[in-house]
Amino acid sequence: MTRPLVFAIAALVVLAAVPWMGSDVLLQFGINALLLAVLAQGWNIIGGFCGYASFGNSTFYGLGSYGVAIAMVQWDLPFAVGLAFGVVLAVMFALMLGVPVLRLKGHYFAIATLALALVMTAIVSNIGIAGQNIGLVMPPLNNDALFYEMALALLAAATGTVLWLSRSRFGFGLIAIRENEEAAAVMGVNTTLYKVTAFTLSGVFSALAGGIHAYWITFLDPDSAFDISLNVKMIIMAVFGGPGTVLGPVVGAFVLSGVFEVLASKLTTVAGIFFGVVVVAAVILMPRGLADLFYRFRTSGWRYFAENIRAYRL
Amino acid sequence: MDLLAQVLVNGILLGGLYAIMAQGLALVWGVLNIVNLAHGAFIMLGAYLSWHLYQYLGIDPFLGLPITAVVMFAVGYAVQRGLLNLVVRAPMFNTLLMTFGLEVVLTYLAQFAFSADFRTINPPYAGSNVALGPVVVPMARLMAFGAALALSIGMWLFLLHSRLGRAIRATAQNLVAARLYGVEPRHLYAMTFGIGIGIAGAAGGLYGTISQINPYIGGALTAKSFAISIIGGLDNPLGVVVGGLILGIIESLALLYVGATFGDVASFGVLVAVLIARPNGLLGRTA
Repeated sequence: MTRPLVFAIAALVVLAAVPWMGSDVLLQFGINALLLAVLAQGWNIIGGFCGYASFGNSTFYGLGSYGVAIAMVQWDLPFAVGLAFGVVLAVMFALMLGVPVLRLKGHYFAIATLALALVMTAIVSNIGIAGQNIGLVMPPLNNDALFYEMALALLAAATGTVLWLSRSRFGFGLIAIRENEEAAAVMGVNTTLYKVTAFTLSGVFSALAGGIHAYWITFLDPDSAFDISLNVKMIIMAVFGGPGTVLGPVVGAFVLSGVFEVLASKLTTVAGIFFGVVVVAAVILMPRGLADLFYRFRTSGWRYFAENIRAYRL
Repeated sequence: MDLLAQVLVNGILLGGLYAIMAQGLALVWGVLNIVNLAHGAFIMLGAYLSWHLYQYLGIDPFLGLPITAVVMFAVGYAVQRGLLNLVVRAPMFNTLLMTFGLEVVLTYLAQFAFSADFRTINPPYAGSNVALGPVVVPMARLMAFGAALALSIGMWLFLLHSRLGRAIRATAQNLVAARLYGVEPRHLYAMTFGIGIGIAGAAGGLYGTISQINPYIGGALTAKSFAISIIGGLDNPLGVVVGGLILGIIESLALLYVGATFGDVASFGVLVAVLIARPNGLLGRTA
């Protein structure tokens, strides 16, 4: 076995053992961090690999949440069916809106997906079966260990998918689209098919994370399910860790979740300012994320930061 | 019928203010290719500045607009020169993230300095109305609308005819060529961002006279400014005015006919439709 594989299995075993070793607080923090890592990894597929800054991933998350909630509360179906229903909703949404929206480039794509998320919030708060503004309450299941293991399995699946992307024909096609879409099309990449597939794949993971989160929290309403700041969070985590890399988004999500957790318990105003300053400094000093810092700092040392500034300043 | 006329007038007045809010965002986006997520936070800072000028120095909010604009221009110039110029050539996510970080910092700084209490700028004439036939128009809204329109036209003339305006338009078209003609990009970028933020600050002062201000209004104002810039296109300040008016009227009509929850659906639905049909804005050039 190769060293990375041994390392990955070891990390997975250690993480899987947390419910038997850690406290309840650690377990709850872990579920949150794992689900955020899934979201960051899911965003990585469309944003990191394909280069499309999607603000619509929180929409998939919301659809996944509502899939579970509607199936369990309104139709008395089991959780697994609800998850599947949420995924179906997300796939339908991605296929229907992906084609027109993915024609847009750059900022325009970002804003169209942002607007779709806002529209979805308003639509769902007017649908009777989704509980309108009041939301839905699910039967509680007090088994944090189960939720933790589900979130971990989902993260492993998402990371495995991204690993496959990083070395498959499909993944190379996405990278080609990110670097130069016209050139990719000329080289024979079916750009529409690739982009919509990446968008859908990204949406499936977000929807699954949303479904697990909804059942864990047992309550959801339109504003929290389609929360845009969640989308901003996943982008920050993915970009902080290193977009377009396999482990970057996961590491970014864990590190920033830890920082949020520590800061939230301290004075919030100062913590908020500090958080903003960290984001600004990170963009200036390590624009390609933690993954790049990790590889290049060994060779360049402190000059790494100066090189980054020189590369992108006017 | 009177109700419809009243709603339309309200929408137009609101739209004028929306237009001036979006003007700076559209300028910075069109010329520097930076989508400034902190735009609304700068509007909020301008509103607070105007509020302080009125509350402690007794300067009328409309007469104080030039002061607010100049101070905010200086802030914008410094931010671009010191921070954003360091990352303008980076991929799009990076500038988005950077301005998001700025938004967070500005919001929390405002909360720290001004507290989270709601404020309003209440000049003595705030309660008075003008009657235009069957339609009643609040004085402050009418004045804010007039100031917004005057600023937009002023900005249009400035971009069209002044030397600096021409340099800004040249840079938007082709940075390399503009450089060859002697444009110093670091200074010009900072000037452009400063002008955008100065106008945003003035818009904040106007916003404070007709609505409440608190440190958290920035996000929603940024989202509105986005929508307006998209609908109106980034080429021309007058397009932004049209975008603002459209959004103001749609929101007012949606409020009347389909209820408050659908106001956002209407405005953002129009936004998505415009984006898909005409990606360069309703009035923008087609590619």
